[in-house]
Amino acid sequence: MSTYVYGITAVTHPSLPEGMGGVGDPSRPVRILRQGELAAVVSDAPDGLRPKRRELLAHQNVLSEIGAAGCVLPMRFGSVAPDDDSVTGVLAERADHYLERLRALDGRVEYNIKANHVEDAVLHHVMAGNPEIRALAEANRQSGGGSYEDKIRLGEMVAAAVKDKESEDGPALERALEGVADAVSVGPESTGWLANVSYLVKRESAEDFLAAVERVRADMPHLEVRLNGPLPPYSFVEPGPAGPAEPAGTAAAGADTEAG
Amino acid sequence: MTVVPAQQSGGGGGSSGLYDVLELVLDRGLVIDAFVRVSLVGIEILKIDVRVVVASVDTYLRFAEACNRLDLEAGPRKSPGLPEIVGEVTESGARGKSKGALSGAAETISDAFKQARDDGSEEETRSRPRARKSTASRRKEEQE
Repeated sequence: MSTYVYGITAVTHPSLPEGMGGVGDPSRPVRILRQGELAAVVSDAPDGLRPKRRELLAHQNVLSEIGAAGCVLPMRFGSVAPDDDSVTGVLAERADHYLERLRALDGRVEYNIKANHVEDAVLHHVMAGNPEIRALAEANRQSGGGSYEDKIRLGEMVAAAVKDKESEDGPALERALEGVADAVSVGPESTGWLANVSYLVKRESAEDFLAAVERVRADMPHLEVRLNGPLPPYSFVEPGPAGPAEPAGTAAAGADTEAG
Repeated sequence: MTVVPAQQSGGGGGSSGLYDVLELVLDRGLVIDAFVRVSLVGIEILKIDVRVVVASVDTYLRFAEACNRLDLEAGPRKSPGLPEIVGEVTESGARGKSKGALSGAAETISDAFKQARDDGSEEETRSRPRARKSTASRRKEEQE
């Protein structure tokens, strides 16, 4: 029976969700595998596990439960080990690395921000700031909407202006929030949002962070800003790769050095 | 397909919040090379580019019409023929409007999850979801 792995945490974690329902239908009960100072939160892996909504949610729910009470290194969805022994084997082999990450992320949670333009608002903005577009739109309107070519030309200009605005607003949003976070991880681009950024935030700074998000919403009303968190630190589990430009581990590792 | 007004703004939460989180579950988190990952076939659709700015004739026309509509609503130069024009623009622009940035994203993703949940008819797509443009246009065509 192969083993589904949810996350890695310290064996001292105060409340591991043993017996909670995990992935599968029926849900496979969550088990804890202990190895030295580390614990892996696992369950049996159901045959033919697929990335269905209920499975993704089960994964996320187990991790939320662990994350609510302490630090956890969340696995990406769908990690399956051949058996329990290979899980504990990995824990033993890479104990130092995982313990370092757990220390670095201790007391910190991830908030993910995704933002889009409110379409009408951004179009207003583009029209207001661009006389050429305004003139063309006006000309089109006066000729009853304009010819097909005229419309295309106008649309093309507007699209370019909106795109410029996106590449302006994405980084502006990112900068507005990075000051209140320990680390920043920029997610993949161009996937239905103009900004997709995760912030690592100390639990005690969470209120400051949320206040900063509210300020951004007020300052940039043409953006729809979606906030999710607190989450287990999905984007900060590895020191480097998770955040290409901004090494996610740097700030956290700095904090760790202070502590040690 | 539910039409969500593009103006809808504000907090997270709701179903779009859920999809936003699941994106993290799928794309981030610890990967251990000694473990295998289950196949993500059927979920790649999450990665699709559904932003407003897709370089296509369809988008250009939609923008052009949206601009007309905006100025008319702002109303500095109302002309006598206004009602007719408004009617026309609204009609032809309505579909495009419903596919605005926000709702477009949420719908597409919710479709993806519905599809993944319903299982069955998942078609093989690329195994790594990084290349988005081509998938985007394909999906777009499907929507048309």
